[in-house]
Amino acid sequence: MSGRLVLRCWLALMLLLATTTALAFVPLGSANLFISLGIAVAKALVVLLFFMELKAGSALVRVFAAAGFFWLMIMIALTSADYTHRSDQRVPLDQVP
Amino acid sequence: MAEDALGIQYATPAQERETVTLGMWAFLATEVLFFGSLIAAYLNYRIWFGSEFIAAASLTKVVLGTINTAVLLTSSACMAMAVTARDAGARRAPVLWLIATALLGLGFILIKGYEYSLEYGEHLVPALNFDLARHGGVAEIFFIFYFCATGLHALHLLIGICLVSWLAFAIGTDRLRPGSTTRLIGLYWHFVDIVWIFLFPLIYLAGRNG
Repeated sequence: MSGRLVLRCWLALMLLLATTTALAFVPLGSANLFISLGIAVAKALVVLLFFMELKAGSALVRVFAAAGFFWLMIMIALTSADYTHRSDQRVPLDQVP
Repeated sequence: MAEDALGIQYATPAQERETVTLGMWAFLATEVLFFGSLIAAYLNYRIWFGSEFIAAASLTKVVLGTINTAVLLTSSACMAMAVTARDAGARRAPVLWLIATALLGLGFILIKGYEYSLEYGEHLVPALNFDLARHGGVAEIFFIFYFCATGLHALHLLIGICLVSWLAFAIGTDRLRPGSTTRLIGLYWHFVDIVWIFLFPLIYLAGRNG
């Protein structure tokens, strides 16, 4: 990795940070969450591909890196599938009857 | 000779680099799931409690959070520069970049500590002084998530600062064996940065336009 590339990545990260912070103040309903998470994914990709050298990494290393995120998706999907189909009480402490 | 200094289990420096990188990524995959469970909990609470949960998020300090994100992203760039400089065989440059990385990490912790003190002043710390009557139970759930997530992240960052400081000392005093140590500690540092990249929108950017 060259110093020039690091500088370009840093500029991209700062630009993305400014964009996501500015957009958070624009009322877009539930789209706000998806925009901010989408920009977070873009920032993470810059860090993963260049700073963590996955772009130049071997296929085996990339599979290991992807595995963690793949299992994370399974965990989030199954956890949400469970909890969103529960109908029992889910109230905070001060609202328990 | 670089090869002589390698561990006995490695045939070539390239094999050493491939092996330790793979091992580090296996560890980082477990860390993804460690922080991921917190994020899964956050998403479910956000679906359940909707606007009340988002309103609680707007009590966080967005200016300090944004500054801290910039500080941490910059520290990652410095870490990447340290690895680049070390690859190029420079002697002083990696040490200076590593010191910059550690100082930025320390700056992040200090800003975070100031933020915690502000939240303590606003009676937002669950189990210590949370004002249930003023903020409500959903806000307490949000702030339990907030302190667990940012606290565990800060702990990881403190470990990173210790590693980077040791590394700067070891390179500066010429005690580091040739190998991938700088690159590995860099991977850990960048990972802690990625955790923050996802915590930032969930904690600070929610509820900014209600």
